[in-house]
Amino acid sequence: MSTLEEVDVVIVGAGAAGSVYAALLAEAGKSVLVLEGGPPRKLEDLYSSQIWARRLKWCSPHAVEAGPDNIWVSGNSGRGFGGAALHHYGVWPRYHPEDMQMASKFGRGLNWPYGYDSLRPFYDRVQKEVGMSGDAAKEKWRPPGEPYPLPPVLVSNHGKVLARGFEKMGLSTAPSPMAVLSQPYNGRPACLWDGWCDAGCPIGALANPLIVYLPRATRAGAVLQANSFVTKVLTDATGKRAVGVEYQDAAGATHVQKAKLVVLCAFSIENPRILLNSVSPSHPEGVGNSSGSLGRYLMSHLSVGIYGMFPGEDMQNYLGATGGQLFNHDHFPKDSVPGVFGSRHWVIALALKPNDLLGLAMSRTDLIGEELGHFMKRAATHLGSMVGFCEDLPARENRVVLDDRKDKYGSRLARVQYRYGPDAKALMSQAAEEGVAIFKAAGATEVWTGPPGGQHIMGGCIMGSDPKASVTNADGQLHDVGNIVIGGPSVFPTASSVNPTFTAHAVAMKSARALIEKWHDIVV
Amino acid sequence: MHKDTRDRLLADRRSFIKNTALLITVQLAGQRLVLSPAQAASRNLPLNFLTGGEAAALGHLAESMVPGAAKAGVVHFVDSQLAGDPNDSLLIARYFGIEPPHGNFYRSGLMALDRAARAVRKAGFPDFSTQEARQLARALLAGEIADWHGPPSALFYQCVRSDAVDVVYGTPAGFEALGIPYMQHILPPKSWS
Repeated sequence: MSTLEEVDVVIVGAGAAGSVYAALLAEAGKSVLVLEGGPPRKLEDLYSSQIWARRLKWCSPHAVEAGPDNIWVSGNSGRGFGGAALHHYGVWPRYHPEDMQMASKFGRGLNWPYGYDSLRPFYDRVQKEVGMSGDAAKEKWRPPGEPYPLPPVLVSNHGKVLARGFEKMGLSTAPSPMAVLSQPYNGRPACLWDGWCDAGCPIGALANPLIVYLPRATRAGAVLQANSFVTKVLTDATGKRAVGVEYQDAAGATHVQKAKLVVLCAFSIENPRILLNSVSPSHPEGVGNSSGSLGRYLMSHLSVGIYGMFPGEDMQNYLGATGGQLFNHDHFPKDSVPGVFGSRHWVIALALKPNDLLGLAMSRTDLIGEELGHFMKRAATHLGSMVGFCEDLPARENRVVLDDRKDKYGSRLARVQYRYGPDAKALMSQAAEEGVAIFKAAGATEVWTGPPGGQHIMGGCIMGSDPKASVTNADGQLHDVGNIVIGGPSVFPTASSVNPTFTAHAVAMKSARALIEKWHDIVV
Repeated sequence: MHKDTRDRLLADRRSFIKNTALLITVQLAGQRLVLSPAQAASRNLPLNFLTGGEAAALGHLAESMVPGAAKAGVVHFVDSQLAGDPNDSLLIARYFGIEPPHGNFYRSGLMALDRAARAVRKAGFPDFSTQEARQLARALLAGEIADWHGPPSALFYQCVRSDAVDVVYGTPAGFEALGIPYMQHILPPKSWS
């Protein structure tokens, strides 16, 4: 085992949050090393193919989904430079103020340690830096914030037809707020509306870490190191200070990387897994677990796909962004429907490909033989789709624990225990019913729903004001060890129903700024 | 987008589609051949993971579910992925929470399929007619095969069906057959390896 020279900051994970920390901390003059467990990736590696897109997700055994519900750990995660944000769809609505004060306002869920007003400046800054497209004025549900720097994304006939259904139902639509360039921006080209977002966008029209924050980080001197799998965080004899991390390289050699500050941005499964595996006499239950909350309050969005055939329409469903063209938040208020609590929202008119999970064929898995062939021909021209996302409330029993089995690095696997709450299931049933009605109103002759799915993973290292009930403080620092910081949706105390990547960026930026301001207090 | 625009996009792709497919690398008699799965299938090139019996069953099941899958080389596609590093695998199995390496999943599924076929009419699955094969496939999806000893039968159905859909519809040629412009940024490389 070798011990490597100390750096100011070691960041674990080169995804959305890790890239923001790397850029800001390096630009503040800190020596930054980013250790990424997966391979190096470049924009030119991002082939336009749903088949090749699968390489961007996790495959090695690292997590066991023990159920009873599945939150699709492999598909929601990422591997290599860019992490999960390399294949994200760029649907970036903001959290609403009530998402962050649920316990105070409704007596349900948890409070964030700060309110929307504290996060708003960072949303505004991130959207300007990445180049977001949208129409703030048309988003009647939108929390306060600066207008988007770019006009909305493309709305093809697919979006127009489905919007008609919403209108007939007395519901609203607005252009989706997207981290996709509708026009050239800061030297990056505009989107071609080719629908290859899931495969990663090699032209950089869809904001991903390879095009925005990782280049900034390396320009400022940060070093990105691939195939370096961090297995544990190391603390000193007192247990109160982190001294670095232990990792294995591609050849299987173990190294200790010393650092003044450790920032874990390895996603919502790996962050608690690393901390739980970091057992020592000072931390017999894992680092950061004095509250017993480490790994708990894992959250996911329960989603349902709506599909419909519109025989009289050329839907142009192959055009646009994978994440859709329009969205709807009419049922975002937590108590908008009597008897059910939580938010839900629609993402409308997703660009479709023939194959893969969101593809034409997968929408009707019962069809085979000539029936499938006929369906594929019709669907290529006439199929419409949208997805409803439903909030699941934070539940202490939904968690990451350690499995008895180990990976090739000798680390115990994560074991994910998850059950969607009754409100999430009720919201999904409502969404399915409403979605079918919307499609019928839009003129669909056949309408069906897909199976329930788990999209996005949050929590596991939640932040909070009370050290006895949360893992980190408002700046992402472990309550127990102040020079270990958690980044990414791991720290979210509530899930909302919106896609989390925008908020993960804003929270990381807020945290990084705070760390820079109080650097000398942290690294003493 | 107008129809003429779509037609132009499709026309622009024709020459590229002729030269592009899902391609695999085969070592044969000391030579390294780069072939499409369809070419590998048509030349009956050796497999790297599946046995002959497993390949026959997989090909028949995939072809019965998605006509054209055998000719498109589904067997060589799946075989090439099962023989490689799971982290580089292009199979949809990695999305379904199936623990890698995925060879055991396919092998036990195909074994169970063969057993189920013999229970039905004392013949191996490759000897089933297309209609008989489809009937058994539907029973897989419905979980209605008695004494099934493989992975969850509906999951096995989903994986093989998706593999077949990948090679038939997930390529530039498949897009063109459906009248959809491929609109690639970067084409997949001409080798799986």
